[in-house]
Amino acid sequence: MIVQRAIESVGIPTIIIAALPPVVRQQGTPRAVAPRVPMGANAGEPNNVEMQTGILKDTLLQFEKLDQPGKIVPLPYEYIAQI
Amino acid sequence: MSLKKIDGLQSEVFVPITPKPVWAPVTKPLKDMTVAIVTAAGVHLKKDKPFNLAGDTTYRVVPGDAKTSDMMVSHGGYDNTDVNRDINCMFPIDRLRELAKAGFIKAVAPKMYTCMGGGGNVKVFTEKTGPEIAQKLLQEHVDAVVMTAG
Repeated sequence: MIVQRAIESVGIPTIIIAALPPVVRQQGTPRAVAPRVPMGANAGEPNNVEMQTGILKDTLLQFEKLDQPGKIVPLPYEYIAQI
Repeated sequence: MSLKKIDGLQSEVFVPITPKPVWAPVTKPLKDMTVAIVTAAGVHLKKDKPFNLAGDTTYRVVPGDAKTSDMMVSHGGYDNTDVNRDINCMFPIDRLRELAKAGFIKAVAPKMYTCMGGGGNVKVFTEKTGPEIAQKLLQEHVDAVVMTAG
């Protein structure tokens, strides 16, 4: 994503929570995580505080783990939208 | 045998090019970080101008202490049903505030920046919108940014 790269290039580390990992890979993301979620609920199921907290925490933890650009880390959370 | 070289000849097949890597190293532990959320999910305050669903390169500011009940989404590129139920599923601001309170991170940044992805003028995003948001985050001493998009 363009804005992510712009922020990263001024020296601020970024990480994206992606529902479409191939797209962010193509766009040259520096850091990404990919829970199993549909577009529109990237940060977890609506009103599921436990899942949202887990996704956000695991996303933030990657700041201390990832050591090279371009990795997309799968996260063990699944939400299938009933819409 | 040398291949014939024709200046300016291009393949008719569009080949998407992944841009060169960008990388800002992490310099402090999470518990010392001020974190912002930047999203392309079309989140904005209800009192602000909605995004143009046909493509919009402008951005909005959401204060770090804004109530989720004062926020809404204008985005024509994904099903808004879930995000209308709970904005945290695209913009986990309540979760970030809870993590700051618990000491997992140091603080929530004063301002979040939001835009509408999935359309709009790529050149403007690259040359204007992206760099402007980046400069503001620098001025506000943000240590790390969590994004939702894609």
